[in-house]
Parts: sequence; structure tokens; C-alpha cells
Amino acid sequence: MKNKLSPAARREENWGWIMVAPTIIGLVVLNLWPFVQTIYTSFCEHLGFGHYKFIGLGNYTEIFQNAEFWKATWNTILFCILTVPVGLFLSLLVAMLLNAKVKFKGGFRTIFFLPMVCAPAAVTMVWRWIFNGEYGILNQLFGAHVGWITDPRFVMISCAIVAIWSNIGYDAVLLLAGLQNIPKTLYEANSIDGAGPVKQFFTITLPMVSPTLFVVMIMRLMSAVKVYDLIYMMVEETNPAVTSVQSLMYLFYRESFVAGSRGTGSAIVIWTVLLIGMVTVIQFYGQKKWVNYDV
Amino acid sequence: MKKIPRIASLVLAITLLLSLSGCGASDGKTHLKFQIWDIAQRASMEAICDAYTAKNPDVTIEVQVTSWNEYWTKLEAAAESNTMPDIFWMHTNQILYYSDFGILADVTDLYANEDPNYYQNHFSDISIGNASGSDGRMYGVPKDKDNIFLVYNKEMFDAAGVSYPDENWTWDDLVNASAQIYDKTGKYGFMAYNDDQMGYWSFVYQAGGYILNEDNTRAGFDQPGTKKGMEFYVGMQDHEWCPNQAYFAETAPGTAFFSEIGSMYVEGNWELMNKCINFPNMDGKWDIAPMPKCPDPVSGDGRATISNGLCYSTAARGKHLDVVLDVLKFFGSEEAQLLASSYGAAISAYNGTEQPYFDAFDKAGYDINVEMVMDQFEYGVQNVNNAAKPKWKSPVLDELNKVYNGQQSLDSAMANMQKIIDTETAKKLAGD
Repeated sequence: MKNKLSPAARREENWGWIMVAPTIIGLVVLNLWPFVQTIYTSFCEHLGFGHYKFIGLGNYTEIFQNAEFWKATWNTILFCILTVPVGLFLSLLVAMLLNAKVKFKGGFRTIFFLPMVCAPAAVTMVWRWIFNGEYGILNQLFGAHVGWITDPRFVMISCAIVAIWSNIGYDAVLLLAGLQNIPKTLYEANSIDGAGPVKQFFTITLPMVSPTLFVVMIMRLMSAVKVYDLIYMMVEETNPAVTSVQSLMYLFYRESFVAGSRGTGSAIVIWTVLLIGMVTVIQFYGQKKWVNYDV
Repeated sequence: MKKIPRIASLVLAITLLLSLSGCGASDGKTHLKFQIWDIAQRASMEAICDAYTAKNPDVTIEVQVTSWNEYWTKLEAAAESNTMPDIFWMHTNQILYYSDFGILADVTDLYANEDPNYYQNHFSDISIGNASGSDGRMYGVPKDKDNIFLVYNKEMFDAAGVSYPDENWTWDDLVNASAQIYDKTGKYGFMAYNDDQMGYWSFVYQAGGYILNEDNTRAGFDQPGTKKGMEFYVGMQDHEWCPNQAYFAETAPGTAFFSEIGSMYVEGNWELMNKCINFPNMDGKWDIAPMPKCPDPVSGDGRATISNGLCYSTAARGKHLDVVLDVLKFFGSEEAQLLASSYGAAISAYNGTEQPYFDAFDKAGYDINVEMVMDQFEYGVQNVNNAAKPKWKSPVLDELNKVYNGQQSLDSAMANMQKIIDTETAKKLAGD
């Protein structure tokens, strides 16, 4: 096939390869190769300082028999269930409010986007103080005595609140872009037909914004499955509620870098990759039911 | 027109190459990097480096501080790629892991020329033990020694009418004082939280138990003394006067103490100067006392404190090994250790160089009974350690955490802790 190309076209093609080479090489060296290595490591025992011994499926049988691992898997799924639907709903709500005719629109947009600009570590530090069981403002406000991040019953909800709060702004901006692409004429035609705001939302806004919503949902789900920094910052290792909130990535960190068992850690990562893959495949099949690409 | 981008890219490429080669020293000196984790000791470390470079002008040493948590991740990665800092601190948690793999340079014969028994003559057995590998060779020059003690709030003791803790204090006195202070002032008593070195370990040894047996091959959680110590320590959270583990997850005992919310906790002497500097308004309101002793130990006299110590190490495959060994030799000398002590941040390991540490507190005008730390070395227990420690340290704390949050009984936790340590240790031994 390539032989049909003229020498000039072939030269151009070669240049094309050269031009994309930096990106491709970067991807292979920084992403693809480490991924292959991680797969290999997951079949090995880490003896220390980069020495590995091949042990086959040993790490996998070990984690599958470990109650803590299953608890972490469930925690991760629970975190997704708690954060993604609520987060998406709130983001869409905020996006629609910011799209409406309100004063100081620019100011509100900035305020909602601000959490995204703050360093996650700083954000969680502030939230930890808000949630503090003894001296936190939340308990002071309600006169309650709830261990928001130390009671196994509440710790997951507290972490979910912080996650949702941190992401609303970013998601809302993406959705806002989607909303602004909806032609005004559709709404005009619709209101002439006598549709109210609720009906307008379901017949125009939701279908028209669904492609953006789908992208945001995939991104949010993937990052929810990978949640680590937030929980690590909020819940320390000696927190009595740690097992009720420990996510797969948190477990991975502790296995790989605290206990030094990188083989086990890698096996957990591979499991998480499979989990993300599964969720994404389901979504891509599911999108046919609700995502609308026709304008 | 077409040529300009080419020339530009050529220039860029050359500058890139140049900046790569720029790493090499150009002034003919040997540049060494010295990695530590405690910002409070930066000044004393720079002082001994300056003392060395003053005598050896062809060497420069740069002190770099990394936080404790990152330190070990970085150091291990550096060890794998053979890019370790020239000199670095080594901790008992990790020294066996590193030395067993041949990462650290053997410094046993560092002083062979001047005194074959240099270490034995100038350092305590605990200091030597803390710097030794599993094979009994020295993999670091002892840097400092520390122990842990009781910190108490004098005002709260006065308000409750309880006499201050002294060397005769027992566990019963600790409990009584805690209860009285809580009753009369509403402040917490002794704050016992989930920790090993700063927590239950001392109490286990006071009761005559042990965490690891003599040759560090087996855990001692099935020993009656260990059980006694742990029951007492963990049981303290059942009292009203001790906050529970949920509280400590949000507020460290030190924070509670210096916010004048709790009256007693355990601290190590490496933190003393720091605390004095950071809480000037607490000056004169608090003091330190020996660890309370067990009134009826299963064996021994009921006294114990965990004594740890760091050492200066270097990589076995270091690029400037000859120069670095000479620096280490100086770091282990009386002169350097006296100098390091005088900053009041750590007690130097070299016998007889301790006094400047204590003088530093007097000089700065801090009114605490710091000399007491010296007396405690008499019954110091070497910080618990074996080659498998990085593997079992965290899981063992997890087991205890499950006792604190009511998920399991102390007995079943101790059985699990025994199993975890024995399994990991056996694995490590079998691997050698």
C-alpha cells in the first residue's frame, strides 16, 4: 500500500512520524513501559531494592484471600456510588444556574471554580479542621458531638462531601460549555409550544448536554475509582475508622511504600485497572441508551 | 528563511547537552551531599560539616532536609539507581533492611589505625547495636542517643493538689494522678495513644515482657509480662481521664498537651528543644520526669524506657567513598560530637559528649529538668528492631487499632501480632 506513495508523499509521511515521535516516545517510556512492568511486578515478590522473584499468581491469591482487600474494593465502589451521581447532579445544577441570567455571573463562576485551583492537600487540611470532632466548626455549629472522620459510620460520607465539593466547579465549567452550545432557538420553539421549565429541561437541556455529561461522568468515575490523596490526607493510619474508608489506592500505597511489598501493591493496581476498564465498558454500552449525539 | 529554525534547533540541542554536562564540578573540589530528615538539626549538622571543611578546604558538604515520610521512599529509590546522597542518616527501623542488602558501606574498621576498639571504647552497647547490621558489623557511625520520658503540666498538678512525678512513681501513681487531675480540673490525665516506640513498648518492658526475644527471631506477645504491660497501656483509654483513639486521630497528644488540654504524655528528648522554642508561653509551666515504673513486674525491677539512636551512613558503592569515609571518621570524633550536642537538638552518642546538650537548655534559659534524661539511659532498652520490621511495623499497629475501635479483643490482637511478626521474620530469615 505504501509503495503507491510518491517519494514526496513518503518523505512527508516520514516527517509526520518524526513530528509525533516525542509524544509517542514519551507515552511509551512514561506510561506504556511502566504499565508492562507493573503487570510483571504483580507476578513477583519484591525482595528489596529492585530485586524481584517470580512467584506466579501468589500475589493475587494472597490479596483475594485478604478481607482488608475486599473491604477496600467495597469502599472504592461505595465512594463512587456516593460521589458520582450526587456530584454530577449538583454540577449540572450549578452549571444551569451559572448559565441563567443572573448578576455577577463572572464572579459566581470564579467562586465555584476556585476549589479546583487550590492544592488538594490544603483543601483537605481545612476540611479536617471543619470536621474535627472536638473543636471543629461543624460540630460547634450544630452543637453535636459527631466524629466526622473518626466514626466508621460517617467517615466515608465526610470524604465524599469533600470530594464532591472539590470537583463541582470543574465539572460545572465543562457542563456550562455544553449548555452554551445548545441553540437558543430550540428553547424559543419549545416555549411557543407551551412547555414549562421542567419539561424544557428533560426534552431539550438534558438530551443536548448528554454528550458532555457522559464525558464528565467517565472522568469522574475513573478518578473516583483511583481516589487516594484525599483519603490519605483526611484519615491517618492510626485513625480507628481507617478500615471503613481505605480505598484500593490507599491500600496500594501502604503495601508498596509502607510495607515495601511492591508485588502485592502491583496486583492491587492491576485489579483496579480491571475495575476501571469494566466500569468504562459498561458505560460505553450504556451510553447508547441515553447519550444523544444528534443535534 | 528555512535555515533559521534549523540553526535555532541546533543551538537548543547544544545548550541542552551543555546543561547535562554542567553537573560535573568545575572548581576542583569534591562536592558532597548530606541528607537528613529533621529540620531542627540542620544547624548542628551544618556546624559539623563546616568544622570538617575548614580543615579540608577541598571538600564542600551540602546539608539537605527531606521530611521523614518522603525520606525513606526517596532513599530507597536512590539506592536502586545507585544515586544515593554521599552521607545520610540511618534509622534503626531501616538499617537492617539496607545493610542486609549490602547497600551500606561497612565502617567497622574506620578507626582501625588509631584504635581497633574505638567504638567499644567510646560508645554504649545500645549505640553500637543501633548502628550494627544483622552480621554484627558496623554500618554507620553512631550519631546520637535518645530515650523517652513523661512530660507533665505543673499547673494542673498544682491545681489538683497532686505531687509532681518523680523517679519513684509507679503505674498506680500515674492512674491516681490522672484521675485526680481529671476530677478537679477537667483536664485529661495521661494521654495513652496507639503507638509503638512512644506508646506501649516501654510499658511492656517495664512489666518484664518483650516485643522481640534476645536474638530478634521471635515476638513475645505470648509472654505474661508483655500481656501485663499491654493490658495496662491499652486499658488506660477505658478511663474517663484518657481521650479515646478517635480523639488522638485528630489531635496528637503533644498538641493536646501544649494547648493545655491534657496533663501528661510521653515525649522523646529529640523534641525537647523544639517544644521549648515553639511554645514560649508554656515556659515554666511544664517539666519532664522519668517513665513511671511497673509496681509488680513479672520480672526485672519495673523500669524501662525505649532508647533509640541514629547513625551516619554512606552507600557501599558511593562515588567519593574515600572522601566520605574520612568525613564520617570526623563525624564520629569527640570534637564533632561535642559540637553537635551543643545545639540542644540531640544528645551525641560519643560517651562524655552529652553535657553540651543539657547546657544548651540552661543557656537558652529554659527551665526544665533535662538532666533526668541522662539518668534514664541506665535502664534504656534498645529500640525494638529486626530485618523484617518494615514489613510488620504497620500491620501490627493496625491490629492494635482494631482493639481501640472495638473490632477485636486485646487477646486476639496479641495472637495476631505474634503471628504477623513471627511469619515475616521467618520469611526474612529463610530468604537469607
